[in-house]
Amino acid sequence: MKEKKKLKIFGRLQRAPKEKWKKEEFSELEYKPTTVKELLTEMKDISELIIDLAYSAVLFDNEDISEEVKYLEVQMDKLNYDIRMMAMMAARTKEDAEQLAGILQVAEAAETISNAAGDIVKLLTKEKTGPILPKILKQADEQLFRINISNKSKACNQKIGDLRVESETGMRIIAIRRGDCWIYNPQSDTNLQANDWLITRGTDEGYKELNKFLHGELEVLE
Amino acid sequence: MNEKTVEDIVLEIKDKSELMIDLAYSSLLYNNKTIAKEVYDLEDQIDNLYENLQKRTLELVENKKLSVNDALTVLRLAETAERIADAAQEIADIELRDVELHPILKMSIRDSDIVFTRVEVKDNTVLCNKTLGELKLASETGMMVIAMRHGNKWLYGPNKNTKIEPHDILFAKGPEDGEKHLIDLANGKTEEI
Repeated sequence: MKEKKKLKIFGRLQRAPKEKWKKEEFSELEYKPTTVKELLTEMKDISELIIDLAYSAVLFDNEDISEEVKYLEVQMDKLNYDIRMMAMMAARTKEDAEQLAGILQVAEAAETISNAAGDIVKLLTKEKTGPILPKILKQADEQLFRINISNKSKACNQKIGDLRVESETGMRIIAIRRGDCWIYNPQSDTNLQANDWLITRGTDEGYKELNKFLHGELEVLE
Repeated sequence: MNEKTVEDIVLEIKDKSELMIDLAYSSLLYNNKTIAKEVYDLEDQIDNLYENLQKRTLELVENKKLSVNDALTVLRLAETAERIADAAQEIADIELRDVELHPILKMSIRDSDIVFTRVEVKDNTVLCNKTLGELKLASETGMMVIAMRHGNKWLYGPNKNTKIEPHDILFAKGPEDGEKHLIDLANGKTEEI
């Protein structure tokens, strides 16, 4: 697998401090030279993750996840600012500017998506929504599921990449809750541990297989 | 058509908007204007669905079959999905312009956690003449087919009853290690799904 150079705000174990996003929102913007490519990759990754997180927050009525969505939304604003700066500095000619405008348009779209995700979690906080939302979301082809890892499972102390969870079951792990800490968008080198709660996205079939494996009823994923 | 419930319509809008994002990125990655135009068509469809949904939801409220809160939830959910669809259209718009794409765009799309791939199904491979449901492609390889080209016909967002035929071109997304598996299956290098 090729080595990817990326900004890493993902895949770390973190405690969820209340209103972390508010602190971020008013902190000083700092100019950090990063490449446009890294920024754009990061923005695309966030825009994909944040939607799933937003639906998870609503579906499982979970405040921690909704806080993370707000935090990522603020992060996205900053990345969008950084990418604009970088793009402007990179433009030398009209042709440069035309091409870079396309990049900024994708960045802008990624930000629009993250703002939409922010609005989805507001459904949770404004008024307690009835069961209609879970009812709707449960009919989708690809659904969100919560799975607890049993200490009997062969997954314990294994890396997600080594288990090839997604390529064997089609289930994408969006977040892991470990005690009172969270890992959002775990990476292939993230270890799974007994009693972790996983939030995953995928089909019903994939869920059944992964669920058996994580409960120790299945020895290997294949 | 009238039998669709408001829940069905919201879900359709949500699923379509997510498909649009995937298609939009694929269109950039493969310089494919046909896919980019499909994103525009889907956006029109979503606009119609959304209007229909607004009307239906209000009718249900008027007839006291839906509470105000539930109606608001439905409409807000649809509204966010509609905005996501607009964002997808913005992305596809770049492909339809007469400006060559910046190489960084493709590199970023390639480098992200979810990869997109395009592959032609060769004769006599295990994928031929089977439906996506029979193959369980998504749950066995992690790769979800988002579009396919059959001769000069296109199919977007195929479902489990969609049959794969020799020489179809599949556009799929999924994890990096699933990509190779799908390519090997389509090339006949492996028969094991």
